Amino acid sequence: MLNFNSPIMDTKEYSEIKISEVEPILKINLRGKSRDFITKIGKELSIIPPTESNTSSGNENLNILWLGPDEWLLYSNNKIDLNNINILENKLFNEISKAKIGSVTNVSDHWIMINLKGKKVFELLASGCPFNFNEFKKTKGSVTQTLLNHIDVIIHNKNINDLNLFVRRSFSNHLWSWIKDSSRFI
Amino acid sequence: MSKNLRITNNKFIDQTTKISFKFDGKTLYGFKGDTLASALLANNIHLVGRSFKYHRPRGIMACGSEEPNAIVQVGNDASITEPNTRATEIELYEGLEASSQNCWPSVNFDIGAVNNFFSPLIPAAFYYKTFMWPANFWKLYEYFIRKSAGLGKSPTEPDKDIYDHRYLHCDVLVVGGGISGIMAAKVAAKSNLNTVLIDDKNNLGGTTLFQKNECFKINSFYSNDWLRKEIETLNSLKNLTIKTRTSLAAYHSYNYLLARENLTDHLDLNEKRDKIRQRLWKIRAKKVIIATGAMERPLIFSNNDRPGIMLSSSIKKYIDYYGVKCGQKISLFTNNDSAYETAISLNNSGVIVNSVIDIRNKTNSLIVKQAEKLGIKIYWKSSVVNTSGYKKINSIEFMKLSDDATTVIGKKIKEKCDCLGISGGWTPRVHLFTQSGGKLKFRDVDNVFLPDKSELDQISIGSCNGDFELDDVIKNSVNLTNKFLKINNNDYENLEIISSKEIDKKNIWLLPSDKPLGKTKQFLDFQNDSTANDVKLALREGFKSIEHVKRYTTTGMATDQGKLSNMHALGIIAETAGVKMGELGTTTFRPPYTPLTFGTIVGRNVGEFFDTTRKTPIHEWHVENKAEFENVGQWKRAWYYPIGNENMHEAVQRESKAARDSAGILDASTLGKIDIQGSDASEFLNRIYTNAWSKLEIGKCRYGLMLNEDGMVYDDGVTTRLSENHYLMTTTTGGAANVLSKMEDYLQTEWPELDVYLTSVTDHYGTVSICGPNSKRILTKIIPDLDLSDKEFPHMSFKNALIDNIKCRVMRISFTGEHSYEINIQSSYAKSVWEKCFEAGKEFNITPYGTETMHLLRAEKGFIIAGQDTDGTMTPVDLQMDWIINKKKYDFIGKRSLYRSDTIREDRKQLVGLLTDDPNEILEEGAQIVSETNSQPVEMLGHVTSSYYSPNLNKSIALAVVKNGKKLKGQKMFVPMKDKNISVTITDTVFLDKENKRLNA
Repeated sequence: MLNFNSPIMDTKEYSEIKISEVEPILKINLRGKSRDFITKIGKELSIIPPTESNTSSGNENLNILWLGPDEWLLYSNNKIDLNNINILENKLFNEISKAKIGSVTNVSDHWIMINLKGKKVFELLASGCPFNFNEFKKTKGSVTQTLLNHIDVIIHNKNINDLNLFVRRSFSNHLWSWIKDSSRFI
Repeated sequence: MSKNLRITNNKFIDQTTKISFKFDGKTLYGFKGDTLASALLANNIHLVGRSFKYHRPRGIMACGSEEPNAIVQVGNDASITEPNTRATEIELYEGLEASSQNCWPSVNFDIGAVNNFFSPLIPAAFYYKTFMWPANFWKLYEYFIRKSAGLGKSPTEPDKDIYDHRYLHCDVLVVGGGISGIMAAKVAAKSNLNTVLIDDKNNLGGTTLFQKNECFKINSFYSNDWLRKEIETLNSLKNLTIKTRTSLAAYHSYNYLLARENLTDHLDLNEKRDKIRQRLWKIRAKKVIIATGAMERPLIFSNNDRPGIMLSSSIKKYIDYYGVKCGQKISLFTNNDSAYETAISLNNSGVIVNSVIDIRNKTNSLIVKQAEKLGIKIYWKSSVVNTSGYKKINSIEFMKLSDDATTVIGKKIKEKCDCLGISGGWTPRVHLFTQSGGKLKFRDVDNVFLPDKSELDQISIGSCNGDFELDDVIKNSVNLTNKFLKINNNDYENLEIISSKEIDKKNIWLLPSDKPLGKTKQFLDFQNDSTANDVKLALREGFKSIEHVKRYTTTGMATDQGKLSNMHALGIIAETAGVKMGELGTTTFRPPYTPLTFGTIVGRNVGEFFDTTRKTPIHEWHVENKAEFENVGQWKRAWYYPIGNENMHEAVQRESKAARDSAGILDASTLGKIDIQGSDASEFLNRIYTNAWSKLEIGKCRYGLMLNEDGMVYDDGVTTRLSENHYLMTTTTGGAANVLSKMEDYLQTEWPELDVYLTSVTDHYGTVSICGPNSKRILTKIIPDLDLSDKEFPHMSFKNALIDNIKCRVMRISFTGEHSYEINIQSSYAKSVWEKCFEAGKEFNITPYGTETMHLLRAEKGFIIAGQDTDGTMTPVDLQMDWIINKKKYDFIGKRSLYRSDTIREDRKQLVGLLTDDPNEILEEGAQIVSETNSQPVEMLGHVTSSYYSPNLNKSIALAVVKNGKKLKGQKMFVPMKDKNISVTITDTVFLDKENKRLNA
């Protein structure tokens, strides 16, 4: 059997900040412009992709994050069964990509999800992120694509002081080290 | 500590906490709350340094960031010693060690002081004139000039301190915590605006905090008591964040500001450890209120630079705030009412005020009357003409001014003193306003530049906006803030304010003397030692622009950026040249407002965080197997895998031989990978690449070249057709992000009609590349079910497969010219697949190889690396890749440019191969190529782009770009090096296996 290796596999706790890698998580990039695309996604997932910028929609299993006018990131709330990882992807691919109404691309290993929790998470982000979180932190479900320590990230406001951060796998070790270092001074 | 210089009824200094510190090696004592400057003054030390050029003794002159003289070196530790630090801004802490700068062997006896005697020979810009000739002596001059340049000592070891950056977003940023800033911040915060108030001092209040004077009262309270209560109320405001010890460094466009917060500089040495020293705040404010106050101006007269000559308002702060007497017998010299505030404070604290010398005719403002009532002697219409005392002032001489104030008349009066307070009026601190692009206007009545027009959402209030009287400050600050924030706060209406009003104003930029100008030294820029004479000399020599005069005389070019000198320089230029000051303009105020440490600018982007790094999913294996790494963009790529004591050359020779003879394995995960879907995907590729894609069969791969609009090669890679409307494109490692952006840009702006979607999957897939004659055998062991026959799985095709039930894509493509496979699998399994391949390949001596071997192998085959063999000036034709241009296609990016007259020139630089006459001679990459070595100047025909020693060919090989290279095959050329000319022959670019037999071996 091949071994599954996620890059961080760690959890750290600091004063009022807890950081942890949450993997394996299903992540699928969805792209499409037509009404049919939105309808199909809604039908297959029972979630309508949000059309308002920097927002998300979701249910107890899945979230869809707005990334652009024709682009979304679908991710699962819970860790997935590695043996059945392709079921949803295949289903969506057949219904959307093959039907020529959009694109479906598995990006589960492209992004690594890091959960940031605690009262001081926004202070942590402020030490390396130019984004204005003043409104973001008040709005559950809000999404931003920004830079953290010069690295592209997607941040999803799951709940009060409970964020999911997505970083490209190749950058994840570096960002994790930086987050740990920053957390010392928060 | 000299007890008689410290008064005891002070509220701002903790006189119960004694602090020891060292200055110039001598142990001294101060109190908690002191600055180094106040502690030195309390110890009766005025002489703290020597001036830059003449090495004249200099003392503490001010009490804040405008201090030009008291510049010291802090600390002895080679890693954290800091030069050019203002003693007025260093908060005293236990263990502080500071020393004077620019003096040797000591500040009391400085050999450099000899310069002062030669000062007539070294006027402004003497070095520009002196060191011009003889021209070849410059090297000698330079040695001595460089040795004498600069102030202080730089640290010689890495900084041990920790610095940090933090972003902050607010509705309103108030810069300056004086009375106007405090009121503005309170008004803003009470209006539910997220407000930040910053001040560079350790507590709020500005000068009003210690203004206890009958002439300045608010609602019957002394203004200091009233303000203290205001400050207490700030704590209850939820929307207000206060940051003290925070100095605004820069004000950029769009209300982006940088501020430095000192977090531990004031702490004892043992308390500082492991804490962040300074933090740079990167602030985005919707609105900015500048309340930075004003600086007192000096007066320009002969010998105005002696230790003990200080700004009058600073003397007041030292006595009222720090409880320190700057002298026992103090004289004051002024052109405005401010000095009388100082006189009254000194008098109230029991310090003898000799007299106030005022250039004005008698005036009757409230404050002057109070001073007269206290019996303070005033000499009206008089001017100081000289001072005495080498290391500290001991007397002044003053005379009556003529009616037109151009000369001095009458008897010269000599007055003994140990300190002289000078006040030349006030200069609004408009630096931040101008940094942000704001334009200034000039107010003639009191000769000040004031904020005028700005494109940003900002205002200036208080004395930085030209309000110098207490009642004006309060009324105008609140009104302006209300209007600016579009609110109507009436908290400060109906205040009863007593404020002394200045009735008479008079200003003389360069005060007259009883001696000719050339016989006196009237310093303008105390730090750079430039005088009024220097400025006049510059004007005589034809310099008219203030920017030119500034550079010629170095006025305003010291670390204080001329905070105290600029206005007088402008005034003297305007007077001498006969122009209005408003028309003359100011020099440019550039950030930072006060010097920043490099540490603050860099923050935590040092060491492992100096630059972002990317790692492949197989990185740990490479580390465990002792690979050496090279940086490719931000990626850390395995470079080579030395065994034992092998050097790079030996390792690369071994690795490349193994790859050709049996099997090699390469981590190719860094290649950019872009998933392309949509019904127009084929048409999209037709437009992106130079070759045709519509007829590429599903399951097949094709190499493509991507051009810029100018027809030059931009990137290359292999793209695979996964299904009818689905492709996987690979790009170069360094070009991935740019290629994706470029393609997305084209889709959104040029070709919106195309139904195509792009998704980066670079990080989703790890790529394991196995090559060599035994690669097929190894892959068979890993994926036994996959038919690897040339018929079923030919070169340039792909198959979906399963490895231990995990989906993967196997491409039969080759960058080495060998029979090769690339396994693309989800990154989480890539390391495991790599290990599996390695295990399976052991019987074939599979050898991991890094980027260096990869480069060698591809060079043997003449394969280009975009970015190494191309440089943005090479077309496909230049690369001898004409075959990749499909001339039948309607269009592709760069097509039109391929037919421009310049791109079809036959003598363009073209890619060729090079072989050295001596097969063991390896050329240097970048080396120039010439056809003859005797003529001068020699014509450079091209340069070497790639060069290696090939163990498979047993000779050195190289690729190069050479002018008209295609037609020069077989010709001899030379590669001139420092000690020899290397003879080479131009060849074909393919050195190995021209028939491509090995691809199917």
